[in-house]
Amino acid sequence: MGNCLKASTLDDISLLRGNDSTNGPISGTQSMYHQDEHYQRELYPSTLASATRTPSSNNRQLSDENQVKIAKRIGLMQYLPIGTYDGSLKKERECVICMAEFCVNEAVRYLPCMHIYHVNCIDDWLLRSLTCPSCLEPVDAALLTSYDSA
Amino acid sequence: MANMAVSRIKREFKEVMRSEEIVQCSIKIELVNDSWTELRGEIAGPPDTPYEGGKFILEIKVPETYPFNPPKVRFITRIWHPNISSVTGAICLDILKDNWAAAMTLRTVLLSLQALLAAAEPDDPQDAVVAYQFKDKYDLFLLTAKHWTNAYAGGPHTFPDCDSKIQRLRDMGIDEHEARAVLSKENWNLEKATEGLFS
Repeated sequence: MGNCLKASTLDDISLLRGNDSTNGPISGTQSMYHQDEHYQRELYPSTLASATRTPSSNNRQLSDENQVKIAKRIGLMQYLPIGTYDGSLKKERECVICMAEFCVNEAVRYLPCMHIYHVNCIDDWLLRSLTCPSCLEPVDAALLTSYDSA
Repeated sequence: MANMAVSRIKREFKEVMRSEEIVQCSIKIELVNDSWTELRGEIAGPPDTPYEGGKFILEIKVPETYPFNPPKVRFITRIWHPNISSVTGAICLDILKDNWAAAMTLRTVLLSLQALLAAAEPDDPQDAVVAYQFKDKYDLFLLTAKHWTNAYAGGPHTFPDCDSKIQRLRDMGIDEHEARAVLSKENWNLEKATEGLFS
């Protein structure tokens, strides 16, 4: 499992355009099956859309392997806690991915290293690379450790 | 997604304009078109390197998926460096490939490139010919890099011997850049360079 998750594919993110709805706050009890089905519905139209935009992207096909990898990542990401920004956090005032300041009550996701990001921003990043964009700490390893100790 | 790329570049642009490095004229950045997808960077050659005194122009293309993917950067100014192609300006630097992180910015990219000029990694080369010279004939590498910095980036060191050899080849109808490239590759051996060009 670890090997699948570590390999990063540059195209991952371009396949995810327009999937904002998957990025909202999602409770941990929601079934994985539902997540995947929803995700794939979003996935295919956007793949087609990107294929019409540039000729070079015509070859872009989602292999079964990639689908499994992405699905596993989405499953893993659900374990990362979401909170709301309360304005009192002294450490970070802006999301380093979009460089916009956090608004009070905005949904933020916590990584195991305690860096916070907008949920939409970090989820798109994690689909490409399972590391914290700020400190580069691997997210999967940290999560797997927490499973072990649980 | 494209909107995030543009809005982030705009924010970064503001940030980099206020940075200390801009004030010190060590790095520069400017827009090429109105769409914020292509920029032009400039870095000063670091002190105590053969690039000192030179200004190196960079082409920066911001992908639609920025900052989830790195910007595409290459040297427009010709440069003699093991990790930069002397022909195309393509750069071999991990953060511009697999080690990119979304928290990196145009400013950190330019500073990393400046650091690369000061610390070449010949074991992970982009230009095998340059890397070989770097490892095998370091004095000639320094001379060649300084000469290229003078010829293309406005560096201060002139080498009359190099210039006269290039002129000899130009007299034979060879283009100046090609003459310089061939002579650099052949460790400034005029005979070998001529042989390579005309055989």
